[in-house]
Amino acid sequence: MEIYLPIAEMSVHWLIILGMGGAVGFLSGMFGVGGGFLLTPLLIFYGIPSEVAVATTASHITASSMAGVIAHWKRRTVDFAMAGVLLAGGLMGTSIGVYLFKLLREAGQSEFVVSAGYVILLGTVGGLMLNESQQALRAARSGNPLPARPARHHNWIHGLPLKMRFRQSRLYISVFPPLVLGFIVGILSAIMGVGGGFILVPAMIYLLRMPTSVVMGTSFLQILCVTAATTVLQAASNYTVDIMLAGILILGGVVGAQFGVRAGSRLRGEQLRLLLAILVLAVGARLLIGLVVTPADIFSVAVEGQ
Amino acid sequence: MRAALIAIFLALMPAAAAAENLVSGLSQDQIQITSNYTGSDLVVFGAIEQSADTEEDSETGHRDVVVVVRGPTAKMDVRRKQRIAGIWINNREITLTGMPAYYYVASTRPLDKIAPAQTLGRYQIGLDYVKPERASTHNPARAEQFRQAVVRERVRGHLFTEAPAGVEFLSYSLFRVHVPVPASAPRGQYTAEVYLFKDGVVMAAQSTPLFVDQIGLERRLFSFAHNDAFAYGVATVIMAMLLGWLSSLIFRRA
Repeated sequence: MEIYLPIAEMSVHWLIILGMGGAVGFLSGMFGVGGGFLLTPLLIFYGIPSEVAVATTASHITASSMAGVIAHWKRRTVDFAMAGVLLAGGLMGTSIGVYLFKLLREAGQSEFVVSAGYVILLGTVGGLMLNESQQALRAARSGNPLPARPARHHNWIHGLPLKMRFRQSRLYISVFPPLVLGFIVGILSAIMGVGGGFILVPAMIYLLRMPTSVVMGTSFLQILCVTAATTVLQAASNYTVDIMLAGILILGGVVGAQFGVRAGSRLRGEQLRLLLAILVLAVGARLLIGLVVTPADIFSVAVEGQ
Repeated sequence: MRAALIAIFLALMPAAAAAENLVSGLSQDQIQITSNYTGSDLVVFGAIEQSADTEEDSETGHRDVVVVVRGPTAKMDVRRKQRIAGIWINNREITLTGMPAYYYVASTRPLDKIAPAQTLGRYQIGLDYVKPERASTHNPARAEQFRQAVVRERVRGHLFTEAPAGVEFLSYSLFRVHVPVPASAPRGQYTAEVYLFKDGVVMAAQSTPLFVDQIGLERRLFSFAHNDAFAYGVATVIMAMLLGWLSSLIFRRA
């Protein structure tokens, strides 16, 4: 049955949207990522206007990270002080990002920036993951585990001023690295409709050197708050959040995620990361093709004030 | 402006109107977009009435009926992409104001056989003659290039249609036209115009308004999103968090 989306102003088949939400939810449950980086391009391929896709995906990630926060809250693996600092940066980033997105939209460049941003982001993250997971797989096969990274390696980050104690993470570091990290993720959330978990998680582990046990819960809390703020700000300033589309995507997503978690527990970490890397690179390649191949019509029309 | 033209025309030519009178109507004067809306079919029907003494006369000339349905006008930003360093980027933008966002024309024969270009242009009949009121460029060739881009884009989206054999005659004087209105048709006031041509001259014309609107849940969601945007955003977030929380509740028990 077709369903009419009041904000996107188009008819879609609700089963396809439910399926997309479910598939992305499955993958996000399996790999432990929000899945915004997959959902936004999928919606754009389906024909949803890119600004509606970006804004509505943010609300989808709010729902999926809610479940994550609850699970980690109960296990007491959330560093609230760290999440607070990240969030302070995140809210600044989101406000600026939503404003930037409005400017880009008026200049007619939002579509290009979203696509090009995804190509760069997915290419970099996918490439790094592919490289890392292959090394890990090769090491596992030859029987020599990779040398563990030094746990307390001091880098330039530890020389910054305004230090603060993060009890849960057993860290005493400057507030600037998490503040800047939160800020970058906030901008990405607003412009590209991603939660930013795939940047936040490695950055917390390798740059901030937080214990892995609290990384997931803390990043879920940060993503929950930032995407909730993004949803409200996009709705208020760009009118691009489609609640009907969001509802169907979320229903599919939360169910898919539960099955994804079960499927993910049967695969090994390196194998999971290799699969995810291939998926990420494939989506990036598809978007790159869209930018490079001569379009069917080099003109495009945007109707104002509808 | 066209409505005024038609009114003036009717006032100036009472004799012709009396000789061959046009009566037309619509299947519905309101089209409502609901959640399972996939587009709908509007039927424009009509009859050509003529007095007995002109019957012989009508045998000699060629009679044509043209039906035009125009949607509300819109402001359109038309952008042209250019390849820069191998990548296609929008680099020129022209704003066209006053183009209808929906346009349908049906006729008994191809339009160029019915009337000269000048007449079609005056009434804006046909995809070649749908013109914006204003363009943000002084170069007429460029404005035309961008106007054609709008026509192409609208034709692809089934929002602009030219049906050269779309007028169906049920009898000598009775005709009917099926006008498809897709789900993507914009909301607002439309007009259905019926023209009677004889040997390339407009003999009679009639214009009827109709409305396309969202009703029910869609209408309420749309106005909620636009009139109370902040609360709408908050409501979306609350829905998302509730669904996320419910899912972890349900699946933990299962």
